[in-house]
Amino acid sequence: MKTKLVMMLMGFYLVAAQAWAQQAPVTGKVSDEQGTPLPSVSVIIKGTTLGTSTNDAGDYSIRATPGQVLQFRRIGAIPVERTVGAEATMNVQLQRAVTSLNAVVVTALGETAAKRSLGTAQQSVTGTAIAETQRENFVNALQGRIAGVDVTSTSGVPGASSSIVIRGISSISSSNQPLMIIDGLPMDNRTMNTGVLSSDNNSTQAFSNRGIDFTNRASDLNPEDIETLTVLKGPEAAALYGIDAASGAIVITTKRGKAGGGLQYSNSFRLEKTSAKPELQRVFGPSLSITNATGLTSFSYFGAPYDPGTVFYDNVGSFFRTGSAQTHNLSFSGATGDGRINYRLASASDKTLGVVPNTDYSRINLTGASQAQVTSWLNTDVSMAYTYDNNDQVYKGDIGPLIGALVWPQNDNAMNFLTPAGTRRQLTVLSPSLEQDNPYFNIARNRVNAKTNRIMTNVGLTLTPFSWGNLKTNIGADNYTNQNLILRNPDSQVGNAFNGMLELADLITRNINIQTLFNVNSRQLGKNFSISGLLGNAISDYRTNTDALKGQDFLDPNFVSINNTNQRTSKTTLEQRRLIGAFAQAQLDFKDYLYITATGRNDWTSTIPSGANSFFYPGVNSSFIFSDAFPGIRRLMTGKLRAGYAAVGKDARPYAYRPSLQYKTTSSGGYGYDFWGPNLALKPEFKKSFEFGTELGFLNDRFGVDATVYRSTTRDQIVNDIRGSYATGFILFNLNGAATRNTGLELTLRGTPVLRDAFSWDIQANVTRARGKVLSLPHALPESYVSDTWLYGNVRNGTEPGLSTMSLTGLFYRRNKNGELLIDPSNGLPVRSTTFIDAGYDRQPNYTVGLTNTFRRNRLSLDFLLDFRRGGDVFDATQHYLTSHGLATSTLNRNDPLVVPGVLKDGKEDSATPTVNNIVIVPAVQTAYYTNMSEELFIQKNINWVRLRDVQVSYQLPTGFLGTRNASAFVKGTDLFLSTNYRGFDPIVNGNSAAVGGSGGTGIDFGNFPMPKGVNFGFRLGY
Amino acid sequence: MKKLYAAILVASLGLSYACSDYLDVNTNPNAPQTVTANLYLPPMLHWMVTSPQYDGRFVGHYTQEWYNTSTTFATPEQTWARMGYDPASDNGAQQWRDVYWSLGQNLIDMNTKAEAEQRWDLLGVGQILKAWGWQALADLHGEIIVKEAVDQSRTSFDYDTQEYAYGEIRRLLDSAIVLLQRTDGGVSQAYLAKGDKIYTGDRTKWLKLAYGMKALMLNHYSNKASYAPAEVIADVNKSFASNADDLLLTYPNVNPFDDYNFWGRSRNNITTFRQTQFIVGLMDGTQFGVEDPRMRSMLSPAPDGVYRGLDPNVAGFGALATAQQPNNFFGYTATNGLGLPGRYLFDDKAKIPLMTYSQLQFIKSEAALRMGDQATALAAYKEGISSHIDFVNARNLDNNQAAPQITGTAKTAFLATPTVVPATVTLSHIMSQKYIAQWAWGHNEMWMDMRRYHYTDLDPVSGVEIFRGFAPPTNLYGDNGGKLVQRIRPRYNSEYVWNVPGLDAIGGLAPDYHTKPLWITQP
Repeated sequence: MKTKLVMMLMGFYLVAAQAWAQQAPVTGKVSDEQGTPLPSVSVIIKGTTLGTSTNDAGDYSIRATPGQVLQFRRIGAIPVERTVGAEATMNVQLQRAVTSLNAVVVTALGETAAKRSLGTAQQSVTGTAIAETQRENFVNALQGRIAGVDVTSTSGVPGASSSIVIRGISSISSSNQPLMIIDGLPMDNRTMNTGVLSSDNNSTQAFSNRGIDFTNRASDLNPEDIETLTVLKGPEAAALYGIDAASGAIVITTKRGKAGGGLQYSNSFRLEKTSAKPELQRVFGPSLSITNATGLTSFSYFGAPYDPGTVFYDNVGSFFRTGSAQTHNLSFSGATGDGRINYRLASASDKTLGVVPNTDYSRINLTGASQAQVTSWLNTDVSMAYTYDNNDQVYKGDIGPLIGALVWPQNDNAMNFLTPAGTRRQLTVLSPSLEQDNPYFNIARNRVNAKTNRIMTNVGLTLTPFSWGNLKTNIGADNYTNQNLILRNPDSQVGNAFNGMLELADLITRNINIQTLFNVNSRQLGKNFSISGLLGNAISDYRTNTDALKGQDFLDPNFVSINNTNQRTSKTTLEQRRLIGAFAQAQLDFKDYLYITATGRNDWTSTIPSGANSFFYPGVNSSFIFSDAFPGIRRLMTGKLRAGYAAVGKDARPYAYRPSLQYKTTSSGGYGYDFWGPNLALKPEFKKSFEFGTELGFLNDRFGVDATVYRSTTRDQIVNDIRGSYATGFILFNLNGAATRNTGLELTLRGTPVLRDAFSWDIQANVTRARGKVLSLPHALPESYVSDTWLYGNVRNGTEPGLSTMSLTGLFYRRNKNGELLIDPSNGLPVRSTTFIDAGYDRQPNYTVGLTNTFRRNRLSLDFLLDFRRGGDVFDATQHYLTSHGLATSTLNRNDPLVVPGVLKDGKEDSATPTVNNIVIVPAVQTAYYTNMSEELFIQKNINWVRLRDVQVSYQLPTGFLGTRNASAFVKGTDLFLSTNYRGFDPIVNGNSAAVGGSGGTGIDFGNFPMPKGVNFGFRLGY
Repeated sequence: MKKLYAAILVASLGLSYACSDYLDVNTNPNAPQTVTANLYLPPMLHWMVTSPQYDGRFVGHYTQEWYNTSTTFATPEQTWARMGYDPASDNGAQQWRDVYWSLGQNLIDMNTKAEAEQRWDLLGVGQILKAWGWQALADLHGEIIVKEAVDQSRTSFDYDTQEYAYGEIRRLLDSAIVLLQRTDGGVSQAYLAKGDKIYTGDRTKWLKLAYGMKALMLNHYSNKASYAPAEVIADVNKSFASNADDLLLTYPNVNPFDDYNFWGRSRNNITTFRQTQFIVGLMDGTQFGVEDPRMRSMLSPAPDGVYRGLDPNVAGFGALATAQQPNNFFGYTATNGLGLPGRYLFDDKAKIPLMTYSQLQFIKSEAALRMGDQATALAAYKEGISSHIDFVNARNLDNNQAAPQITGTAKTAFLATPTVVPATVTLSHIMSQKYIAQWAWGHNEMWMDMRRYHYTDLDPVSGVEIFRGFAPPTNLYGDNGGKLVQRIRPRYNSEYVWNVPGLDAIGGLAPDYHTKPLWITQP
């Protein structure tokens, strides 16, 4: 049997070899108009799927028969076709084109197409540009580089989660993040939700995605492995990806081997410093207990002035350290002489030590990819990526070290955090669970650690049995194990009430995706028309199982093991979702200047009750190259108009429609319903989206404009966890019935103002404006909010019909009809609303601009990315905290009598003659002036910024340097400069983590570490 | 050709079957959707007893059982000490949550199953639970949602009158009384005991409870012409026969801290609370002439050994020197006492009652007195005090608390004191002693008693206050408009946010809604 098999295989190869025998190798170099070698240019024999691509030196090698046509295509360049002649060498020059309609782009499903045929908005970034940002989490590299994309990092510690939103917030409670696609198949980009932790069942122990953060899983990808990244901005472009792409898609192609690729080594060394520089008052000392004149009752500073000569310590400044990072990348790629088999092996290691002590992130990536042309009709493609990462974070928000460092008395050295007995040194008479942890104690004794092992495999087969089409199948498994350890030390603020708590949560995810495409190549229909299309099917099976174990009541307070705890509770959470999709696309092309594309997809999902779980949605888009239709225009410009419409459905989260019982931990156990009530009529939500855009090129495509406007409406939106009257028998529901509308503008301006042999200057500006509005809520309920965002005081991400999807509601000040503050006649202080109300706050910026400039002069290049934002509100809860604790410098005038401007709430407040407040208060005496201040005063309106996200200088070293074929050195700065009207640390914040749905805690700044300023230097060597 | 079509048909049917099968993975594997009827019971019993304690943090300020020592009047509990409420807060609405959610659909499911399986004993307990819920809510909030309750298809709910709720309570208790006498069908002590750790499945004890709850409910009609004291007494007589019948919930202390006594030190709910002058005055001899032997077993002395209470009109400890400040309820200074033995009900493992024999004796005594049966009133009054002394001793042994046991001698001597047990008992005796017997657990009934007697009514015979020494706060909450509190506003995050039309119809949006008298306390 074995011999037979071998014989068969042998025969197979012999036949194949025969077919190849008439072919001769063709080699050559591809370069740009300045002579710079171009890597990653695909070289394909026209009419087949046979091909290769150029290595980093721009060289390629392929076997072809004379007479065949080679197509040279590169993302962002005008393709070139050359017929193979007798000569063995064929050097090609590609013209860089900032807007050329003939440029080749990656589209949905990993297909490539000429830009001219696209009727939808999408934008690409090269892998090189992403890798050069030196961000360990590539998601952070995207801000400012693509119009319409908004990235928010949760905090500045390594491994912090980042959320990415395209075209604004449309879902009130579910994820607004796009689908991530790697080499044709989805990649899991979830951030662990604390809901899987055993402690989250108990409100006194729950983190609710606030005091703790976990990495978003897309950061497992090694940025160096990315070849190109394309953002499909709306459902119009992403429709074929189905329901998971309702918020757009990010399509990533990873690198493959190249003939003569050789060995590549690069590294980067980084130093970083925090930009957190708080101002704290040093005049008034801590409040003392009424009954115990020497004991501190809290870390409030409404006491007597400090004695002259008091020694102060900079407890915040000295807490931070200089962060550092080093990254090493080693890859080896090549191809067989005939180009039939290529391979790439890469490894990377990354270790980052953050500016906050005890925060670090280390990652190892091993990737391997190989493509083979087994016969003229069979291609295989296999890739595997292994990632290991280990991340230590610290708590954030009110239990984090930043707040601890801020409130620790400045006349005491916080570094001194232990008693002689080696236990926590407390300064107040409060119980250990009520006093803020000393920051040093906090990071030394508490721990938040996550280790992830991940393997992604993708096996692809392409069959080309006919000249008119091919069949492509990809099967992928994306599996990871994420082990979490969360320690609350028995002495610490967070652990004392439980005499210590240790949580272990092992999250095992197994996602399987299968996708099959049947492509029909373009066929001529008569003289002017041609048609092409595809049919496809996708099946996915996602399964995540979390085993969580919580132990509390430590025996030995310092030994970290679940075996050292007296009381243990475990919890398992299994989540499974299956999805089947079938889709088709047809494209009609009239004279290469008018394209009409129709798409359709039907999905069947497991998370919607059967009967409603099958749903179809169509899409249509059109591209019109008016400069080709009317050639007279072409002398002035090239131009395209495009318009698209698509509908896309979206399902619910698993187990959303049937209530289930929960084991109760109250006396003697038993079962009772969980918070969620039934909704057997749950149906999918639908988003309908229109976009219209144009792409214009001037001066031989040296300057270009790409503009898009869109308008999308989501109906029957599923709102998770919406409250109702308890009289329903339940507390929360998952209901259809919200409607939101998103509108916006994306504008990309590109240009090459200078292009000479020795010097070039490229510039690109990405302008984004996105608006989201809530049109209605289910059952006409008044407000919807995500409870995790109610993280500080009485402000939360509540929204109401008519408000922005990024509004805030709170117990704001009450005002009369003229907008004047109402003042309580009994104490002269403003009256706060007793219900959550809207006061016109919107965290959505008016617009953002990302401006990239690249200068090249001979071997030297300089590029930088400036990020501008105008408008949008940010809640500086940290400052409110400092004010209510008497630490803010704004409380220094506390002894000055004042009258709060407003009118008395005496019944005449809404009359024509309201009583103007004249009640004098002295804040130092009536500290309620500070302690009961509405958070509203700390929501800073219209926050603008200019920040230098990236700046890089790199130098191409002479060939032969250290024996290399190519080498370069670079210096890179990240987040070096920030100019903003925001008075807190950094307005890019998220009070929650990326796990929270809806608008989340974006723009709620509480005890959050800002992004550090960093400088990298390193070099790249190619052998 | 036909064969081909047939093949395609079969194949596509097969595929579609496989497809629906493949997608059928949405049954939550983490939790069941239905369980046997008796497994619904333990959490509901837990909340029936524990939930009133949650609200007792606030109701106990209305009734001046205790007082929060925070030094600013902004602290929630102190708003309640001023007979106000916390706007935009769910404080004081735990029972609202538990009646509609912890019981809610669970109780309906349990009762439906019990009925289908002819488990009349379990169904009887279910009816008691339901009656308890309406009783607790109607007495706290007045108008509540009964008819439309537990309906997931509704988005707004109409309130029913308190009178309607009382009718329902009566109907449910009568139904429970019938069901709990049945022994046919699926009645099984073993089955019921699986979910009932209180009476270990003994339906006769649940039957007694049903009579007791009915007596309590009927006694609330005291201000109405329809008041029927004889019926109250008859029901008490069919109810608890001794302390052995008390409904007591055990806290196993297995799952921190859900199954810990709510008043235990570990839960840290009343560490900053201290006893009031009112309760101390009732027990230290100020009101009854002699020191009550229970005082040293229930209340806490100051470090100097003297028993003092706090004045709710003064912030914090007022002018008391450190050594004069009462210890916390666990018997320690400041916030100490973690991990150490507590006192009385203030211990992680102390059992908490829903109803006691002693409480019922006071109800009987009041009813008897009102119908002019002095002999029955006096006997029940004496039995009420006597059995509560035994109750205090028993509770202090639940976890070998630090408080001393009351000796038999002290008990006899106390009961022989004429100022305590006079020859002719008066309402003032009965209600003030009932207050002591309910102190720290019977908040709902205690507050109902006080509202029935308008807090400060005078004894028609002796002219002394019915609640001896009780003084309403002088600094009433702003929105009260000078009126004393009569009800708690419905749960904020259920009603004020999501059921405003329903509230509006009953005037619930008025800032002084909490001072609107209840139907039951009016003639």
